[in-house]
Amino acid sequence: MVLVLALGDLHIPHRAPDLPPKFKSMLVPGKIQHIICTGNLCIKEVHDYLKSLCPDMHVTRGEYDEDSRYLETKTLTIGQFKLGVCHGHQVIPWGDLDSLAMLQRQLDVDILVTGHTHQFKAYKHEGGVVINPGSATGAYSSITYDVNPSFVLMDIDGLRVVVYVYELIDGEVKVDKIDFKKTATTNSAH
Amino acid sequence: MSPAPIESTLPGSLSSESSSLSGKKRQFANLRGVRWRINLGILPSSSSIDDIRRVTADSRRRYAGLRRRLLVEPHVPKDGSNCPDLVMDNPLSQNPDSMWGRFFRNAELEKMVDQDLSRLYPEHGRYFQTPGCQGMLRRILLLWCLRHPEYGYRQGMHELLAPLLFVLHVDVEHLSQVRKLYEDHFTDKFDDLSFHESDLTYNFDLKKFPDSLEDEIGCHGNAMKVGSLGEVDPEIQTIVLLSDAYGAEGELGIVLSEKFMEHDAYCMFDALMSGARGAVAMADFFSPSPIGGSHTGLPPVIEASSALYHLLSIVDSSLHSHLVELGVEPQYFALRWLRVLFGREFSLEDLLIIWDEIFASDNSKLNKGVEDDTDSSFAIFNSPRGAFISAMAVSMILNLRSSLLATENATTCLQRLLNFQESINLKKLIEKAKSLRTIALEANSSNPYPSFRGAHERSKLSAVRSHSLSFDCSSPTTPLSLVPESYWEEKWRVLHKEEELKRGSSQKQVPTRKKGWSEKVRLHLSRTGSDPSHMKVEKGKKDPKSSVRRSLLEDLCRQLGSEEDIGEIVRNEVLDQKDPIHVEVEVEEQDANLNSFTCPADDSHLIGNTGSEENSSIFSASTSPLTNDHENDSEKSSIVSNSSLDENDDEPNNAEAFRIIPEDPLPVSDPPEDISPKPETNNDSTGKQEAGLKERKLLSGKFQWFWKFGRNAAGEETSEKEGASEAAKSANRESNQGDTSGASTSDEFSNSSVNSKGDAADQIMMSTLKNLGQSMLENIQVIESVFQQDRGQGGSLENFSKNVIVGKGQVTAMAALKELRKISNLLSEM
Repeated sequence: MVLVLALGDLHIPHRAPDLPPKFKSMLVPGKIQHIICTGNLCIKEVHDYLKSLCPDMHVTRGEYDEDSRYLETKTLTIGQFKLGVCHGHQVIPWGDLDSLAMLQRQLDVDILVTGHTHQFKAYKHEGGVVINPGSATGAYSSITYDVNPSFVLMDIDGLRVVVYVYELIDGEVKVDKIDFKKTATTNSAH
Repeated sequence: MSPAPIESTLPGSLSSESSSLSGKKRQFANLRGVRWRINLGILPSSSSIDDIRRVTADSRRRYAGLRRRLLVEPHVPKDGSNCPDLVMDNPLSQNPDSMWGRFFRNAELEKMVDQDLSRLYPEHGRYFQTPGCQGMLRRILLLWCLRHPEYGYRQGMHELLAPLLFVLHVDVEHLSQVRKLYEDHFTDKFDDLSFHESDLTYNFDLKKFPDSLEDEIGCHGNAMKVGSLGEVDPEIQTIVLLSDAYGAEGELGIVLSEKFMEHDAYCMFDALMSGARGAVAMADFFSPSPIGGSHTGLPPVIEASSALYHLLSIVDSSLHSHLVELGVEPQYFALRWLRVLFGREFSLEDLLIIWDEIFASDNSKLNKGVEDDTDSSFAIFNSPRGAFISAMAVSMILNLRSSLLATENATTCLQRLLNFQESINLKKLIEKAKSLRTIALEANSSNPYPSFRGAHERSKLSAVRSHSLSFDCSSPTTPLSLVPESYWEEKWRVLHKEEELKRGSSQKQVPTRKKGWSEKVRLHLSRTGSDPSHMKVEKGKKDPKSSVRRSLLEDLCRQLGSEEDIGEIVRNEVLDQKDPIHVEVEVEEQDANLNSFTCPADDSHLIGNTGSEENSSIFSASTSPLTNDHENDSEKSSIVSNSSLDENDDEPNNAEAFRIIPEDPLPVSDPPEDISPKPETNNDSTGKQEAGLKERKLLSGKFQWFWKFGRNAAGEETSEKEGASEAAKSANRESNQGDTSGASTSDEFSNSSVNSKGDAADQIMMSTLKNLGQSMLENIQVIESVFQQDRGQGGSLENFSKNVIVGKGQVTAMAALKELRKISNLLSEM
């Protein structure tokens, strides 16, 4: 029952002042065990705020991030799952599933979390999952119209991951749930 | 041989049942788990095996249902609702009703429980620390707490549960051992039989079976000869019947079952905690607030602890009074004893024996007759089980009798009580407890209140404190309340109230010890000295002092030309505080009042101790309340004030008596403002005026209290010491006020005295001053001698803060003494 928060593309303060208050009220410290941030926070204050929600935070570098020490990609293991994080602007075409799948194979992860498109997506692909948590602030994007603030909460429990998607549509928080099960045997093709 | 042995298990069961029913009580002698379950009321005690099985099965079903309901598994869709409202049921939902909300709350509870479980019985870690066992314990405790949210989880519950689970485990192991020996009775041959094709035509060739049977027997070297079940030990019979998979309720009804250990343990735990509608419910011992039917309004565990002491007082009053005098409250150790039913005092094996006895005692409430005397009953005595528990505790205390009586120190006593040694004769202890039980049951009808009244004063604070004392590891789960700083003051007050009550009965005069107590008291009082008010230590302190004082006062009276008749004042018990003229009043009042005062507390100590040091004691006492108020020691002063409130308010007058107040340079004469009883010369009063007016009352209280001491004391050797210590305290205050002030005041004083009206007055003043100076000197000498002794005694004091106070007091007192010297010099010059 590990709760992992995945969010990104906040673009604070350039494109958005802050997280939506409804989101902020939901994000209380103590419930979440890990935070995965795809990038473009952009400033340290946002980093600190997220750190206060959960000390275990993993961030990758987005093109507007002011902290240049973030890595381009990151992998971590939670429970039975291997997760990979990348901002996504490096993967061209932006948002293309096959290219992202290539990255997933490169990183050899079960769950790949990327951003940049500011649009929520969750694919099941080749035994793995590709998740795009969208933009948590609903910041402007040149490639997506009508960005809704959204983020993703993953509940990793054994071989099963439940993905809760929180979207702010018309001022209301809508929640959706997607179930993924990992095939039991980890087949490393090497 | 023949199918007979096989089939006889079934009809045989019916016939053997009756035989096994004989000697019911001893029926499950080897099966503690079953016995306890019967005793706790879970299983019916007087019925057939089948009924037992049915009840077992029912209770297990209930538990399983509870478990399903309460242990939240957020992934599992509940009750067929395939589309849960995600807005509500997502992990981040703030909705308290959401599944996830409950999940997180349970997680909190689990964390608390885990903290305790990880430390459970490390010496039996092979069983208790295994993840399976821990998981079971955790679930049981969690479920019970969720089911009883009013109690929550309290440390100690896990220790009640652990032996229950252990006992079940032992039973199951026993069962498996018996199984090995009597394999054949347990297994149904047909279950394991593999059918050959040729047998499918229902032509069982029974002749084949004996052969295979013999083969099997040949295989098990240990197997007993297969005889009829009826031939076997009745005990084994019951075990077989209890674990027969085909008996009533099938597998669920197997009474000794590993699979359902958790269920059974939960039922036992629940029954134990709730008391099964009996008198003693363990859960009450964990509740911090008084339960509904409580007559005393105290938390049940405190009440039970006092019940314990009550029983002890009946059985062994000298030990009881000794413990009470030392201030060893029962709940310090009894809390731990009661809450885990002696789980921490004995090893697990011994504990099981004790619990055997406890559970064997019936728990049903005894009818107390028509007149339910609400005032005089301890709930714990209401049932034989409760009586046995208290009797057991008392017998444990008695076991330590000699070592407890030998020590004069509360801490050591507590140490002995809390570190009950393991190598004791348990049988003897239990026998004694049984004998005491009858006394306990009768004790219920007697009036427990005289010694109990003191307990009234004890608030939850003592529960908290004792709880924290008795549990070694920090308790994360019992934030009952904060311990106020004045806890020890309250304790002291209670103790001394009890002392007063006991005084009539026991005249245990241990002068040195008592002196020690009162000294501690005094020094403690002085410790709070931030108040600049001074006592007049210098006021004549020796035996002749009273006469000196009297003369002084008379001088003043004359001098001041007081209109008030001295005699009048004497009779007039209630004086107007605002009356500026108090000089004369004092003396007479002193004498009169002293006799009339009823010293509330600590009398036994102080009376015996204060001999001629009355005045000083009084004065120091009067200042102490002042200082007390400044601190949080309001309780202490309230002790005195309580005692004195019903007494006259003359006290302030007394205080002023020693004020040489020719006229008013010293606003001293203004009673409402003057708080301290000024020793006539000391013009500290000027400084003191600022001291709180409210302390007056306290001052008067203290004053009267100490007056009494002075009066009643027949000049015991410790009296001087008392006075000295008090003088020290007052000296403290003086020093507090600053060195210079003392000097200046004396200067002032001399000035004022010089300015006093008329030569005659002057002369009188001078003489009085001189007298005072002399008395001061004498007093100083006394103090110094005291301090020599004090040092010696301070080392032996182990009591809590008092020791520190003593040290501090001494240091400051020494400084104060120097002040005194200066002042006395000045005075004598005049």
